[in-house]
Amino acid sequence: MFNYFHNHFQAFNRALVRIFSNFTSSLMMFVVIGVTLFLPSSGLLIVENISQISNNIAYDAELSLFLEKGIKQDQIDFIQSALNKTLIIKKTHYESKLTAWDKLQSKLNLNPLSTGISENPLPDAFFISLNTFNEKEINALIDNLKTIDGVENVFFDAGWVKKLRSILYLLKIGLAFLGAILITILIVVIGNTIRLQTLTHKDEIEVSKLIGATNSFIQRPFIYTGLIYGLGGGLITISTLKLTIEVFNKAAVNLEAMLGGTFILKNLVWQQNLSVILISMIIGCSASFFAAHQSVKKFEIFK
Amino acid sequence: MINFEKVFKRYPGNMDALQDITLEILPAELVFVTGPSGAGKSTLLKLISSVEKPTSGTIVFENKNLSQLKTKDIPYLRRHFGMIFQDHKLLYDRNCFENVALPLAINNIDGLDINRRVRAALDKVGLLNKEKIMPISLSGGEQQRLAIARAIVSRPSILIADEPTGNLDREYADEIMNIFYSFQQVGVTVIISTHELPITPIKHKKIHLIGGKLKGQINNVQLLS
Repeated sequence: MFNYFHNHFQAFNRALVRIFSNFTSSLMMFVVIGVTLFLPSSGLLIVENISQISNNIAYDAELSLFLEKGIKQDQIDFIQSALNKTLIIKKTHYESKLTAWDKLQSKLNLNPLSTGISENPLPDAFFISLNTFNEKEINALIDNLKTIDGVENVFFDAGWVKKLRSILYLLKIGLAFLGAILITILIVVIGNTIRLQTLTHKDEIEVSKLIGATNSFIQRPFIYTGLIYGLGGGLITISTLKLTIEVFNKAAVNLEAMLGGTFILKNLVWQQNLSVILISMIIGCSASFFAAHQSVKKFEIFK
Repeated sequence: MINFEKVFKRYPGNMDALQDITLEILPAELVFVTGPSGAGKSTLLKLISSVEKPTSGTIVFENKNLSQLKTKDIPYLRRHFGMIFQDHKLLYDRNCFENVALPLAINNIDGLDINRRVRAALDKVGLLNKEKIMPISLSGGEQQRLAIARAIVSRPSILIADEPTGNLDREYADEIMNIFYSFQQVGVTVIISTHELPITPIKHKKIHLIGGKLKGQINNVQLLS
């Protein structure tokens, strides 16, 4: 067992020697991996931050039911009782036209005399919270409500949060696809680099085979090289993400006064850092494994 | 130790490299495989070390039929052999010590033992003072001696040398041959392919090939130097 780990340690050392002996090209590989992984990671980071904000918005699907102008109180009571009996309605809030008018005047600082408005233009209204997002049920309810005498109009609102979430969901899927494509590109790039390295070590591979090395022994330093590429690339991705978050947040704070609000990106937590590094290392490791496996097999001298 | 039974080897293009070879190599024998170019000497050595598989016939080494050996078992078989080539097959990006240490790393031998055994092997071939030198700066004879050190460092039971003195002048060639004889004296089976049988003072077996056929197998010939 000790010898097994010693062997791995030696292969890791050989990989480190190879990386440091070609440090410039290794650094280039780190940057390629780092920047390629930065693209989907930064996209996911932004979408994740927006998602968290949208998740914090508590909302229900809501209907606004506006009544006809000359509606009588007994009709209003009838509508109220009909609404109370409907199962998918969570709660209703009645706002008379007088209350609404008062609220509007105080909010906008309106003086009816100065604005030339002679009478209250607002209708009586019910604001209804629903306990469902099912569009069919909501549409059926709207159709029913419209048939009630005294109902002028029914509006369905608060759907925007749902729409935002749908858009964010689509964005996530898009970014996942982009990520998958970029990871494929990375696997090809790393694999090709490792394949070229096997060609430069062709003599060593052939001699090793002649003196009894197994394929896994020969592949090991190449796989460790890919693993180290992944580690370096992952660290560059994290550093770039942190830098971007810092720069973005500084700019956001500066613009806060101008925009009347701010959007701060949350810094990466250690689990996210670890995930990025692990994904990057897995990509490096698997790409180098496949490339080294194929190349070492090609140098097969057994016939 | 090694038995060939009606072995044929045909390469693509219908070229019969070896035909109907039946022979036996005993432990601690010194064997010379002789014959002109194209006689099949290298093919015979490749069959012993499982670099090639026979087209038909059986090759038995230590009760294992090499023609039926699985690919995954071949590396472990190779570890029984120390192999030396005419072109040395040294790694020119590693120094002498690292070249000799390679088989030990493959055999999972740990660091302290590696130092001791590599130095012993280099000492045996007279290169102990050049362990840090890169092989490119060694002479042809020294490079071949380094290749021998690499072949013997893992203490193989058989040394296989494919025309080891082919590129060397007489003085270096004799030096190399003397190293082989010394290993045979301590119980290692030594199989050497060569164009011409060298003048050797010790017992040996001569396997003579012409056109892929065994033309003679002479045992225990003793020549006087």
